[in-house]
Amino acid sequence: MVWKIFLFLLLAFVSVAGISFPIVENPQAWYQFPLIPGLEENAKIIFFHVPTAWLTVIGFLVSTIFSVKYLRKKNLDDDTKSYVAAQLGLIFCILATVTGAVWAKFAWGSYWSWDPRQTSIFALMLIYGAWFALRSSIESEDKRATLSAVYSILAFVTVPFFVFIMPRIMDGLHPGSADDKFTPSGGPVVNFKMNSSMLLIFFLSLIGFTILFYWMWNVGYRSLLLKEKFNKKLIRG
Amino acid sequence: MEGFYNFLNANAIFIVMIIVLIVWIGIFTFLYNLDKRLKGIEKGIKGDKHEK
Repeated sequence: MVWKIFLFLLLAFVSVAGISFPIVENPQAWYQFPLIPGLEENAKIIFFHVPTAWLTVIGFLVSTIFSVKYLRKKNLDDDTKSYVAAQLGLIFCILATVTGAVWAKFAWGSYWSWDPRQTSIFALMLIYGAWFALRSSIESEDKRATLSAVYSILAFVTVPFFVFIMPRIMDGLHPGSADDKFTPSGGPVVNFKMNSSMLLIFFLSLIGFTILFYWMWNVGYRSLLLKEKFNKKLIRG
Repeated sequence: MEGFYNFLNANAIFIVMIIVLIVWIGIFTFLYNLDKRLKGIEKGIKGDKHEK
């Protein structure tokens, strides 16, 4: 109960601070964010868009961990946990793509430019979309769980490349690209000129969204486990 | 009240902030109730098992 109140207050604070704290050229007060040339007010998307991309990685990682667990112990509950995590990962992947495209319209002039970051997240969506197609095409529970677990592990190998490597070593429009003028070394987005209060709100946002993910995942797999229990009960009579 | 309305009229970003907060309260309440309902069902199933 305590952590739920903490989560509510944390994300409420992130929403208030992330939206209403002003962006000024020379921040003097703790609640002021610095002006980043070229991004201006658009920079505030970082508090909401980056956490969705972060949860994409977390979702796919959790899915892979439970896939490995399933292959080792052959417990179908682990397959359910892996499935729900991947489902959430894909939902947040779509959210990251849509919020990024809306932002790009105002920052780059068009919704879609096939920037390396956009291309890589699109490839990830296709890879994990295929995973769900694979799952829905197999009727046998055990066979489905085993094949899904193997596919999930193989699919996750591509995630670090598509999220952390490719968009940073290639030239592109997205902050953090190899030719990004704010991060000449092509480092992570957080390297661009954020001050300490902006960084604090950003990391609080990441923590809040991660707790929210845990809650959604927990409720998701518990409801699926219950559904499976009821189905088995019905079959047995 | 009118002062608050005038303030919001002049600072549209705070309207966005209030809307986001309302959406967050909605999502939180939904998740909280869903979690509570699930716990109730799980308890019911456990109770059934003990009775048998």
